[in-house]
Amino acid sequence: MRPKIETKKYVFAFIITSFVFLGALIVSNIFSERRLSEIKNIENKISLDILSSETQFALLKESSCKAIDHSTAFSEELGSLASKLSYMEDALGAENVDVISLKKYYSLLQIKDYLLIAQIKEKCGTKPITIIYFYSNKGDCEDCKKEGYVLTKLREEYPELRIYSFDYNLDLSALKTMKSIQEVQNRLPALVIWDEPYYGFKSAEDIEKIIPQLKRLRTEREKAEAAKAATSTKETADN
Amino acid sequence: MVEIFFNSILYIFLFFSLYLEVFFLITFFEEVETIKAEKNRSKKISYYPSTTIIVPCWNEEKTVSGTVESLLALDYPKDKLNIIIVDDGSTDHTWQVIQKFRTNPQVSLIKKENGGKHTAVNLGIQESTAELVGCLDADSFVERDALLEIAHAFNEDPVMMAATPMLVVHEPKTIFQKMQRTEYHASAFLKRILSPLDAIYVTPGPFSIFRRTVFDKIGLYKKAHNTEDMEFALRMQKHHLRIRNVYTAHVHTSTPNTFYKLYRQRLRWAYGSIKNTLDYRFMIFKREYGILGTIALPLSLFGIFVLLYNFGFVMFHAGRTIFTKITEISIMGVASLVPHFNTFYLNTDFMVLIAYVLLGIGLFIVWNGAKLAEGRFRPTMGIFYFFALYGIVAPLWFARAIINVVFSRTTSWR
Repeated sequence: MRPKIETKKYVFAFIITSFVFLGALIVSNIFSERRLSEIKNIENKISLDILSSETQFALLKESSCKAIDHSTAFSEELGSLASKLSYMEDALGAENVDVISLKKYYSLLQIKDYLLIAQIKEKCGTKPITIIYFYSNKGDCEDCKKEGYVLTKLREEYPELRIYSFDYNLDLSALKTMKSIQEVQNRLPALVIWDEPYYGFKSAEDIEKIIPQLKRLRTEREKAEAAKAATSTKETADN
Repeated sequence: MVEIFFNSILYIFLFFSLYLEVFFLITFFEEVETIKAEKNRSKKISYYPSTTIIVPCWNEEKTVSGTVESLLALDYPKDKLNIIIVDDGSTDHTWQVIQKFRTNPQVSLIKKENGGKHTAVNLGIQESTAELVGCLDADSFVERDALLEIAHAFNEDPVMMAATPMLVVHEPKTIFQKMQRTEYHASAFLKRILSPLDAIYVTPGPFSIFRRTVFDKIGLYKKAHNTEDMEFALRMQKHHLRIRNVYTAHVHTSTPNTFYKLYRQRLRWAYGSIKNTLDYRFMIFKREYGILGTIALPLSLFGIFVLLYNFGFVMFHAGRTIFTKITEISIMGVASLVPHFNTFYLNTDFMVLIAYVLLGIGLFIVWNGAKLAEGRFRPTMGIFYFFALYGIVAPLWFARAIINVVFSRTTSWR
């Protein structure tokens, strides 16, 4: 005789499977929450840094500009934050409420940093190199991903370069004002360099042509590295 | 929206895949004690049923001698075992090679015109008068105690009408053979689990043994889309005749050594599996046929679609990732390939976590399957080849089999 179907066993297997599914869902959510929380912490830290720099600027604007410490490391921090945020956007989806909220905060921080840099430039006569980048991830901008890689590469190569990236479609009033001031149209990817908008994909070479200072920065760095290498060789020889 | 739709289908498939794995695991844990007892039972038996083993061969000049010699070396009384070698119209030297057994009183030789494996086996069955009748493909070899183990199982269970052995891949050399070795281990686990559930639906060519009465009751083998061993098992199940897996009876079988040979063999199996399941579709989801009707047969049929869907899903996403990576490398250089370890980027997506669980259970199945088939588990490259390759190559023959079924193209033996 064929063994009877044990309904209990079917149900038991179903319960275990459901538990595993639920468990995986919970664990996955916990990890996502942790990541979002990590991003939030980074944003808070950046916010504090900006506030500190602003305060420092306000205190010292009558005296030495050299004392203002708003270093290139700060730009790298923004870059790392952007990459983490982009990862979460891919993982949880661009429509995720938490992701949108963090993106808005991130955009505001960038605008604040941009304003602070502009103020420092005006008061201290520095010449920071900034690129404002507008993208879309709604599937209507094929070249945006490529442009993102180009800018990441440039950011790695030139830590002095400050790149601010904004989701063109983000519903944020400060960003709308920014778009309107820069007169950026919805032809993406769009770059704003020296207050001039450029549309369509721009390679690293294209950008280096628009910003000749980048080449100078590279030459200076190469010279400095060569001098350092020569000094260390001399020291080794002396020893 | 489209992505959500496809993801939802995948979630449902993952749930059912996991459900089946859990179901089989529960059965395995229920069976652990019985498996141990079977392994440790006495080798002595009180009654030796008379047995005929049929060796059908078609152009097997290289392997047939080894097959017959392994049968003659079986630990079984010589007067209770006879071997019928049926040359199914070979065009090579098979007939000449088997002449060396002509003088052996245990061996009978028959030559016939080529008519397909089922005709050769049927002729052997008709010639036999033994209580147990079995078949051994001419590319397989039995271990000395294989028949003893099977006879023991028949003696213990008078209702058991057929016994299937434990198949072990013979001397795997190529990557594809090593991959198959692990696949056979997984299959060994599954067959042992399906056995007490009365859900075995294939009585494989290498050394499946039947009580003679089975053929009297349900007839002989049919062509059955060149997979007569599946059709016969399904016919037995239709008549509620018990098939058991005797995992202690080890049979070594040669497996295809190249991808093309493997593809041809598996295409025949997959095509036959679909066609036979469709022929016996009346059993699907019928409580009358127990686990066979509710789980094993639906798995055999719908599992193919699940496999193909998962394959398509993974390939689509892998293709997209590769395309993105190529773009990234073309812009950022090969330096971007150097991984920057950061726990933040560890993939803990829900689907990935479920895949880890499925993989873990898969490894457990392979581990225990290896213990059943070979007595112990050894980590080998075959395990890696199986998990890395099988999911890529299997969809090829399954997809082709579906096309052949849809367009009514038959598959050939070779």
